[in-house]
Amino acid sequence: MLAHQLAVENPLVQAEMVEAMEFPDLADRHNVSGVPQTTINDGANHVVGAVPEDHLLAEIQKILN
Amino acid sequence: MTNPLLNDEVAGQVKDVFSNQLKHPVEILFFGSKDNCEMCDETHKLLGEVTALSDKLHLTVYDLDENKSLASQYHVSMAPTIVVAGREGDQVTDYGVRFAGIPSGYEFSSLIQGLILVSGRDSGLAPATRQALKELKKPVLLQVFVTPT
Repeated sequence: MLAHQLAVENPLVQAEMVEAMEFPDLADRHNVSGVPQTTINDGANHVVGAVPEDHLLAEIQKILN
Repeated sequence: MTNPLLNDEVAGQVKDVFSNQLKHPVEILFFGSKDNCEMCDETHKLLGEVTALSDKLHLTVYDLDENKSLASQYHVSMAPTIVVAGREGDQVTDYGVRFAGIPSGYEFSSLIQGLILVSGRDSGLAPATRQALKELKKPVLLQVFVTPT
């Protein structure tokens, strides 16, 4: 999983695969409708679908700049 | 004795993949809870069966409430959560790789990939992505929501 690769690359990144049906409150809070959905920093940004690494990276950079 | 979650065929395939692809030892930390955790027992059982398929995998079992400080150290607040870490002797290294909820069905392969990834100690990312990640100054939490299929 791409998110896990980012975590291994940089110690500042933590990546968690969340089984949405087991944690419905968390999934609701982040308005999960399509999967996979990647939520960045507790809702600061999110990406729906499986995306290439430059795309996910760009979405991370958006909220940090 | 209850039936295993992994049938002989799947267990055999995973064992082959592990023997070819696991490089360095991996510590799997399981955080369960006695309180309202429907999938904890099954997740624990699954991890036990997976860990038995390679001597490079070690499983340790914790309780979210009884091992609060360790859970907090690993930023774990939900049960079940699986932390996939590196292990050198007694030294455990956190690579920030987590699974919340049971990685079964399609996500079983994500668990296997996660174990191989941490075992390799290398992200496998493109050079440009590695370079860009060096610029990070603040912590980033990625939560990838999936559903069982």
